[in-house]
Amino acid sequence: MKKGIVFYLNLVAALLGAAGVALAGYSSSLSTENALSNGGLVIAAGVAGVILVVLAAWAPARMGDHNPVTAVSVLASIALYSYVYGQCVLQRILLIAGLFSYNSGNTLGWTIFYATVGCAVCMIVACILLIVGSFCKSAKAA
Amino acid sequence: MKLQTKKALARGISGIACFSLCLSMILGIALEANAATIDTYLGTTSEVLASDNDEENPLYDKFTPPEELLNEDGTGNSNALISAAIDLGRREAAEGSVLLKNNGALPLESGSNVTLLGIRSHVNLLGSSFGVKAQGPYISLEQALSQNRTDFANTIAWSVGSRGAAPSATITEWKGDEFDFEGAGFNLNQTMIDIYEKLGETYVHYENEPAAEVYDPGEPSVDEIAAVNGSYKDSFVEYGDAAIVVIARPSAESVDYLPGGVAEGVEFEHGEPLSLTKNELDAIELAKEASDKVIVLISSSASVEIGTLKDDPDVDAILWIGAPGCYGMLGVADILCGRVSPSGGLFDIFTTYNMSAPAMQNMGKMYYSNTDEVITRTGGVMGFTPGAYTIEAEGLYVGYRYYETRYYDSVAGRGNASSPVGAYASTESWDYDKEVTYGFGYGLSYTDFTFEFQGEPTFDISVDSETGAPNAYATFDVKVTNVGDVAGKTSVQIYGQAPYTIGGLEKSAIQLLNFEKSDVLEPGQSQVVSVKVDLQYIASYDETYDNGDGTTGTYVMDPGSYYFSVGNGAHDALNNIMVAQGMDTSKMVGVGNAAQVYVKEITEDFISKTLFSVSKTGYPISNQLPYADWNYYQPGEVTYLSRTDWAGTYPKSYTDMTLTNEELINNLNGKTYTLQTEDDTSDILWGQDNGIKFYEMFGVPYDDPKWDQLLDQLTLEEAMYIFTFGGPSIPGADSIGTVETYMTENAGNGIAVNLNASKDPAAPWAIPASDPNGNWHPEVFGNAPLGASTFNPDLMYELGEFTGIESLFTGINILWGPGLNTHRHAYNGRNGEYYSEDPVLSGVAAMEFAIGALDYGLVAAPKHFAFNDQESERGGVSPYMTEQRAREVELRAYQIAFEATKYDTEDYDAGMRGLMTSFSKIGSIECTTSEGLMTEILANEWGFIGYAVTDIYDDTDLWSAVLNSGTTCFDTRGQAGFYSTTTLSSSNLFQNLVEGRGLDEHFIDGDANLQLKLKEAVHKNIYAWTESHLMNRYNATTHIESQLTWWRAVYYGMAGVSGIVMLAGVGVYIMASAHKKEEE
Repeated sequence: MKKGIVFYLNLVAALLGAAGVALAGYSSSLSTENALSNGGLVIAAGVAGVILVVLAAWAPARMGDHNPVTAVSVLASIALYSYVYGQCVLQRILLIAGLFSYNSGNTLGWTIFYATVGCAVCMIVACILLIVGSFCKSAKAA
Repeated sequence: MKLQTKKALARGISGIACFSLCLSMILGIALEANAATIDTYLGTTSEVLASDNDEENPLYDKFTPPEELLNEDGTGNSNALISAAIDLGRREAAEGSVLLKNNGALPLESGSNVTLLGIRSHVNLLGSSFGVKAQGPYISLEQALSQNRTDFANTIAWSVGSRGAAPSATITEWKGDEFDFEGAGFNLNQTMIDIYEKLGETYVHYENEPAAEVYDPGEPSVDEIAAVNGSYKDSFVEYGDAAIVVIARPSAESVDYLPGGVAEGVEFEHGEPLSLTKNELDAIELAKEASDKVIVLISSSASVEIGTLKDDPDVDAILWIGAPGCYGMLGVADILCGRVSPSGGLFDIFTTYNMSAPAMQNMGKMYYSNTDEVITRTGGVMGFTPGAYTIEAEGLYVGYRYYETRYYDSVAGRGNASSPVGAYASTESWDYDKEVTYGFGYGLSYTDFTFEFQGEPTFDISVDSETGAPNAYATFDVKVTNVGDVAGKTSVQIYGQAPYTIGGLEKSAIQLLNFEKSDVLEPGQSQVVSVKVDLQYIASYDETYDNGDGTTGTYVMDPGSYYFSVGNGAHDALNNIMVAQGMDTSKMVGVGNAAQVYVKEITEDFISKTLFSVSKTGYPISNQLPYADWNYYQPGEVTYLSRTDWAGTYPKSYTDMTLTNEELINNLNGKTYTLQTEDDTSDILWGQDNGIKFYEMFGVPYDDPKWDQLLDQLTLEEAMYIFTFGGPSIPGADSIGTVETYMTENAGNGIAVNLNASKDPAAPWAIPASDPNGNWHPEVFGNAPLGASTFNPDLMYELGEFTGIESLFTGINILWGPGLNTHRHAYNGRNGEYYSEDPVLSGVAAMEFAIGALDYGLVAAPKHFAFNDQESERGGVSPYMTEQRAREVELRAYQIAFEATKYDTEDYDAGMRGLMTSFSKIGSIECTTSEGLMTEILANEWGFIGYAVTDIYDDTDLWSAVLNSGTTCFDTRGQAGFYSTTTLSSSNLFQNLVEGRGLDEHFIDGDANLQLKLKEAVHKNIYAWTESHLMNRYNATTHIESQLTWWRAVYYGMAGVSGIVMLAGVGVYIMASAHKKEEE
């Protein structure tokens, strides 16, 4: 079987996921006070998500189109990616609220904000790519 | 459908549903964690206190709005409330606006044809973009001058934050009632209004704007005016009865003006942001072309450099109007048309160059030269920059105290006062006349008044035989006579001068001691106005005084001649004293009248030197803030300004100070408390069953033993929650029958909650969502300096009362306001939130406001205690100063407000029941952790009992030290859902403590001191609640009921549908897979 568009969509989703995880880690490392309280778990979830996306991309070549491994992996990776950006955003809500009002001079806070937004964008786009891929055939006949 | 297609579809839909489910869960968590804030903005109610309301268990019987603001059935009347706000806002501006110059041009006759100039005449500055914002619909200057009715359709106040934040409307639209008002009756030049409307597309302005570190007032040039309409001058012929130019300088939280901080390409007269620009001066020149009557309105919260206008004979009148809030322009109109004679006095001295103030030599952003090497403490949750400081080397000489004292010494010819050192407007010698434009407390009227002491003042001096607490007052009866042609009122300001000896204690040559305001007096009418002066405020703090008990430092009353004077401001009062002292009148600036002076020889027999060494609570006073002074750590490095040698001690700029002292460095790193882990705490009772509930505590005195029983019922964990989460949402405690409640909000000019978003929706007077005026926002009054400039204690009280009434309608029982810091200099971006440079004016204004508010069950918590002297690096900046300066200037304002002795009775110790601490330090110690400040001075000396909250997320890493100091809770805005969503150990705010661990419920299990401090802190918090209208809502049946708000329904539905669709998709996928297998 030849690799179809889904393979490439999943590959991009994996790369975006990796970038999102990296940004989550970066945002957490900038200050002790705004570090993710469960940073290890968040990173682990992100890494697991990336592995599952890779698995989802790899499985059709071995198990055929619309195989259950790909289907489950995609759903699980969407959930894991969501957990990563969700935690990043949720734990920074107070920080972000301050930046847009009484604490606009917090330069470190703005860096964390941009890293958080970057993480969320990567993860959300990755999720959308995974969803788009789910509607498509995973592989095409040679 | 093919099976493959079916499977693809099922898989895709499952993916979408999974994503949607996750999104709705994230949204749900975010919304629930911030439910209280969301409710405030959306006008929803997530939880309500539910109670039976019957004869046995009555509700809403302790504090109620006045009857005139209610309908016959007891429900709230929003129209009446807004009408009352319009009336009060109008009167605040009419009494607070200060007429600085008038050669007879004012008042203008009704029917005058007037040209308005300056872009701020069209887009008025009404409030601060952050802090005391003017919210919602307003009445513009144009409307106030020319109309009589508003539907508010086109006058919704907008706001823009600092550092490029996006502007936004303070409310989306107004669909409520129309309101009638009596305008000035002028006819306005529509040509110029149209031009400024067009220019507003380029020079974008808003009703609420901030200061800026690099400032441009955005005033269009004359050429740009002509470019819009080349024949605009033709309109001057018809509208030439008067030309009114409006000039504005905004103020707001979080940013200062900075020395030399002006936008490139904009020509400022003095190269400073508070001087006038060429375009502004050109607008005034244009006004001269438009009319023979040129009137300038100054809209600011600080001294604007208007010396040029004072000296310009063609500028006929200058009226300072502050930032007058949503309805203040009506008061301005009242003055312009002569309906009201102005009676305000300046809140700050207006100088020719603000840079000439000694305080200006040390403001802005200064950092230790070795911060990176020795400061290990981070900037905390707020991301503040460590290592910022300011040396307040001006010592006692803040604002008018500097200019007037130096003036006095220059006339007396001593202390090198006439040296050109520190002179900006004068050259060869320091010249008051050139350095100062208008003095503190000064203000003109349309009529004239004479002031005459009626006999000797009454001295009331005694000492409590048990405690040694002093009681020392002088009451001056002043006969005020209107000797002019029109009716008017005037302030009666009493100033004092204590005897000074060269080389002795630093003393201001003149200081305000108290004030009152007359009634409206008809021409020829007199009134005797009594002004009661607390003599404590003419005593001086001597840091070196040996108290004989091992302590040093206390207040002293040096024996000698004490001068008391009534005058139109500090300079006038000082001139009176100087004449009485026989000083050389030829050297004086202005004239004096010795008849307006009373001299009292104070001897040890009359008032002992150490009478004020004991506070009104009977607590001995001694040095408590040694760490405020840089020289305490590194002696001799700072020279404070002294009358002994004005030239030699005029402050230099202390940049790049280097930290070498180990104690200083340790303090800056927050190492001020050591958590104990092995104490025996068995005697400290928690979790007892004494059968007392919170609702029973209304009216129970703070020292009643019943409180101990109630507090013993709390579990240690509950008490920790109440200390840790101080609002706006405050945790409940099952053991005493309280539930989580949204209690607090900003600000000093009204309550920051929409009328229809009440936190107490069950109140009979709560305004329902369906009310057409429901989105009216109660933050409508003028900035603090405008209120201060009224010099009218009754009006200040009324402002507090009305805010208290607003709080009943909005269900907020604790107000984070008013602002009570000192105007150390004109460049503090937040001066609009603080009253004045004078502690007596500030303290009285705050006291009256707070006591008035408490009449309606609102606990006013003034901020920021203390020393928030600048916004630059406000987070943790270290202001270094002498303790004398700290006590006689900044702290005195708080002392007056907190002691509130004016309202004490034999049975009741009146006082403010709340405060908010400062982001800043006092010297090297955070204000939040300073035992000297929070316990020794605040609680022990002044007897403060109440809610003492930190500023937002401030010093959360110093949890133990904050508790130890006497601070009673943390501002934890956004935190809610206590004991479930938010716990002691889950809140991000408290996970990086200096102890190297996070907070949890066992954190102080082994620290007896902190457990006792915790009990005291919680006692003070709960006591403050019981003084508030929160008690309206509590009885034996009170419980909480959750509500399904629309936003909660949305995310519930979204999650539910997503879950079902996802499961269905998975099901279809499995079935299709199974079917395929069967086919195979």
